[in-house]
Amino acid sequence: MRSERKASVLLKCAAVAGLLFLHLPILLIFLYAFTTEDTSYVFPPPGLTLDWLAVTWNRPDVWQALGLSLRVASVSTVIAIVLGTLCAAAVSKARFFGRETISLLVILPIALPGIITGISLRSAFNILDIPFSTFTIILGHATFCVVVVYNNAIARFRRLSGSLIEASFDLGATGFQTFRYIVLPNLATALLAGGMLAFALSFDEVIVTTFTAGQQQTLPIWMLEELVRPRQRPVTNVVAMVVVVVTFLPILAAYYLTREASSSRST
Amino acid sequence: MTVAVAFENTSRHFGAVVAVDRVDLVIEEGSFFAMLGPSGSGKTTCLRLISGFERPSEGLIRIFGEDSNDIPPNRRPVNTVFQDYALFPHLDVDDNVAYGLMVRGVPRGRRKDEAGRMLELVKLGGYGRRKPSELSGGQRQRVALARALINRPRVLLLDEPLGALDLKLREQMQDELKAIQETLGITFIFVTHDQGEALSMADQIAVMNEGRVIQTGSPREIYEHPRTRFVADFVGSSNVFPPEVSVSFGEAEAWSSLRPETVSLAPPGTGRVDGHVVSVRYLGASKRVTIAVRDHLVAAIIAADSPVPDQGGGVSLVWPAGSFHVMDDD
Repeated sequence: MRSERKASVLLKCAAVAGLLFLHLPILLIFLYAFTTEDTSYVFPPPGLTLDWLAVTWNRPDVWQALGLSLRVASVSTVIAIVLGTLCAAAVSKARFFGRETISLLVILPIALPGIITGISLRSAFNILDIPFSTFTIILGHATFCVVVVYNNAIARFRRLSGSLIEASFDLGATGFQTFRYIVLPNLATALLAGGMLAFALSFDEVIVTTFTAGQQQTLPIWMLEELVRPRQRPVTNVVAMVVVVVTFLPILAAYYLTREASSSRST
Repeated sequence: MTVAVAFENTSRHFGAVVAVDRVDLVIEEGSFFAMLGPSGSGKTTCLRLISGFERPSEGLIRIFGEDSNDIPPNRRPVNTVFQDYALFPHLDVDDNVAYGLMVRGVPRGRRKDEAGRMLELVKLGGYGRRKPSELSGGQRQRVALARALINRPRVLLLDEPLGALDLKLREQMQDELKAIQETLGITFIFVTHDQGEALSMADQIAVMNEGRVIQTGSPREIYEHPRTRFVADFVGSSNVFPPEVSVSFGEAEAWSSLRPETVSLAPPGTGRVDGHVVSVRYLGASKRVTIAVRDHLVAAIIAADSPVPDQGGGVSLVWPAGSFHVMDDD
């Protein structure tokens, strides 16, 4: 009894330590967003101020980088949802020559180190004479965004019994109606989860982006540049804080959405 | 009588496998038709040929006289109750049942009324707001039935409709299916591997084996006059005798069947052949006695109160003249 109690206290300590290890650095980032010292990070901060919020707000390069990141992430997520769903539908519902190979090829980009994807895309763009632009960044991101949507969608397709689709046709529905009323609703939560993951992956991607971007900076690349400049350092922290808060909300929403859906579908 | 569905020399191949082999079949309107056969006999493929999910490799299917080869499943006057029910998990019972009307653009109000009426028909009134996951297996099947009937199909297809139900529910559903079919007067075609189900529900049966229709007829014809050994074996617990045994029993030299209930017992030496009792099984109102005649076993079903010698005891077997039924050897 006594030793059991001791072990549980120990376990609690370990758990708390683990959580602190994971989350303390994030809290420190928040803290240094309000420091008065702008060239180096000293602990404890000499003073606290809200000035950096205003400074950040007025920096056009922050807005540019944020805008580009949002644009890239949204477009590659949309591409990934369309292509990933179609591909998952084909692989799970039809039998054709090379089916397994296609499945493997779609998943490969996520297993491949980003640097390989980056280099190969860069040389491909060079060979094809495609100038580096927002478009090339989006293509680069789409390669790995498709994978997460595909994986989510194919798992759901496998659970979606083929007779549901046949039942819909049998009752007089057209192909479009079957997709709209039967396939899509059963796929929706999987696509939401896959889409969010794709968005998040794209939003903080660095390696592939450095190889496929021209002169533009996405937000993570902007941050990387900013850290080596010993001026207005807390601006980076303010941006990081806003990103954490803004990305946390949809993830929380997705968590509750999919949880409700799965609990009401218990069979 | 109008012909609802006709197979005209219809075949369906899957690669080298012949699932349905040159089937000719006529199913009359208003009948309760069973396709009976072991698994792999092609009966489900026949059903899918009618619903349009399979296309004939050769021959054609006529539905009310019309060649249906180029009519897609969603435009056939046919609806299906799927084996796994295939209820839409994200829709409640009302919306499941009304789906066929919804995709045809029927306004919401009329859809709801009609769905309510169909649910009453299958005795599930008041269950409209539930999700399929909240229903029992028997209730799900009723929903699937209501959903398939709402479009007022001229032919209803049922794929192993009672296969997933337990015995008690199965007997109850048999009666209800029969009652619904009589109320609506539409053609029911169902697929089953259970001969009891086919004999008790259907008014016409097609026995299938290896992609071919072996025999069609009323349950009584199938049961009493099996055309081949396969039908006799599959449809009932009939005695089947090879030609040499038939001859030794004083009958014609041919494969023959003898229904156990036509056989009665007599004291040794007084009947047609003598043997000894191997086993006795009580079946409630009757009992099934297995008798060894030389090295061949013969089953007899007799009233439960008739006297039977102990195991190993000698008996003589009696059957009315003409009880032996000659069959094709295949």
